Amino acid sequence: MTLALDISAVKPSVIQRLDPRWKLAGVLLATLAMGWLRTGPAACTALLSAFALVLLARLPLQWYLRRLGAATLLFVVFLAWLPFVVEEGDLTFDLSIVALSLTGLEQLAILSARLVGMVSLMLVLVATAPLHDTFKAARALFIPGLLVQLVLLTYRYVFLLMEEFGRLRTALRVRGFRNRADLHSYRTIGQVAGTLLVRSYERSERVGQAMRCRGFDGQFRSLHEFRTRPADVLAFGLLAGWAIGLAAWDWFAR
Amino acid sequence: METPLAIVINHLDFTYPDGKQALRAVQCQVAQGESIGLVGPNGAGKTTLFLCLAGVLNAASGSLRVAGLDPRIPAERKQLPARVGIIFQNSDDQLFSTTVGDDVAFGPLNLGLPTNEVRGRVAEALTHVGLAGFDARVPFHLSGGEKRRAAIAGVLAMRPEILLLDEPSMFLDPRGRRELIHLLNGLAVTKVIASHDLKLILDTCRRVIVLDRGSIAADGSAENILRDTALMEAHGLESPFR
Repeated sequence: MTLALDISAVKPSVIQRLDPRWKLAGVLLATLAMGWLRTGPAACTALLSAFALVLLARLPLQWYLRRLGAATLLFVVFLAWLPFVVEEGDLTFDLSIVALSLTGLEQLAILSARLVGMVSLMLVLVATAPLHDTFKAARALFIPGLLVQLVLLTYRYVFLLMEEFGRLRTALRVRGFRNRADLHSYRTIGQVAGTLLVRSYERSERVGQAMRCRGFDGQFRSLHEFRTRPADVLAFGLLAGWAIGLAAWDWFAR
Repeated sequence: METPLAIVINHLDFTYPDGKQALRAVQCQVAQGESIGLVGPNGAGKTTLFLCLAGVLNAASGSLRVAGLDPRIPAERKQLPARVGIIFQNSDDQLFSTTVGDDVAFGPLNLGLPTNEVRGRVAEALTHVGLAGFDARVPFHLSGGEKRRAAIAGVLAMRPEILLLDEPSMFLDPRGRRELIHLLNGLAVTKVIASHDLKLILDTCRRVIVLDRGSIAADGSAENILRDTALMEAHGLESPFR
């Protein structure tokens, strides 16, 4: 499954050996810096650096590309129209039927570079440490516990929801339902979405009960004990320096 | 010498916020080490009773003592997870961590036990249920039987005195079911097993309580109650001796 972040496929690497807290702090800082970039050269440098980190983390190419593809596909809808929006003063490229905005194309390239770079950094993060450790590291970095638990439970139960959706889809198909652009289809899809919502709510209640029965008090605990080594501080320093340097370069180049 | 009581329930009532009364004057006692089958049709109140015993739901009236604690007193309710383990109908509701090892460790870590002891308990519980070496596995990828055993391991790791099992054989194939019976019979704790699988009840319990529409309809030896075809049919059940 494309969404599953199964880390068994990832080979041991320098990045994997880093303390999850320092790694998370560094990657979050780098991701924030990447999200702030506005100029082409800085965005391209950031993208290349993210690719270098992917190589350093030894992520299997197919594993990485499949997940990168799934994540970026979600944003295509929002980005694809950029070259077609021509504003006054924009340089255009006339294709007889439609005119492409060169400014829009440049924006598309910068946004895509930032997006791919940020997703790559996140994939490096989740692939090089068990998710449980990353969540515990997030708590150690004072990220609100509620947010961490929400992410954890969403990750765990999104697969069950997909299974449930698959079962509902099969049930619809065996009763002759075919998705068409008509009122009946829209109503059915709405009902399926409603059913999934109700089932998710009921499941969340049962999961909450199960957690309370095992002594859950809102605190996030893990067996992994963190230990800072000089290499962790060095890696964080490098990432932080890279992020600040890139942001400064972008700022002065605007 | 009389055996100490693990569970004492006196005139317990419970009504859901929508007005549906799920339990009506339930009254029974369970001795320490006893294994009891709780049977009844759908909606009889079995799960509600378990949730009251575990302190998740607060009963409106009546009294309740579980492992010597009153679930309605907040300070005592906090101690319940260490003493009472509940296995839910659907294992997916119980396995919420990203790996089996983390999930089994969840309860002991919440009890505030030292890391080394938690690791020991995790290994022991997984071995006990036949899942040694499954620590790093993702719960989502397990089979129905493995999920059930992982859920049981998560509760066993807390070393409870009382085990409440809600439909434990649900989603299990015949082999998984046999292994479960073997596992349950090997657990020397007080057990209350709610199930529609009356053959499993017969194999694991010596006493049976019939719950119907929130009230206890019969309480006696498993052999006698499950043989009583008229009683079984009157409460929407089927005798396993037919």
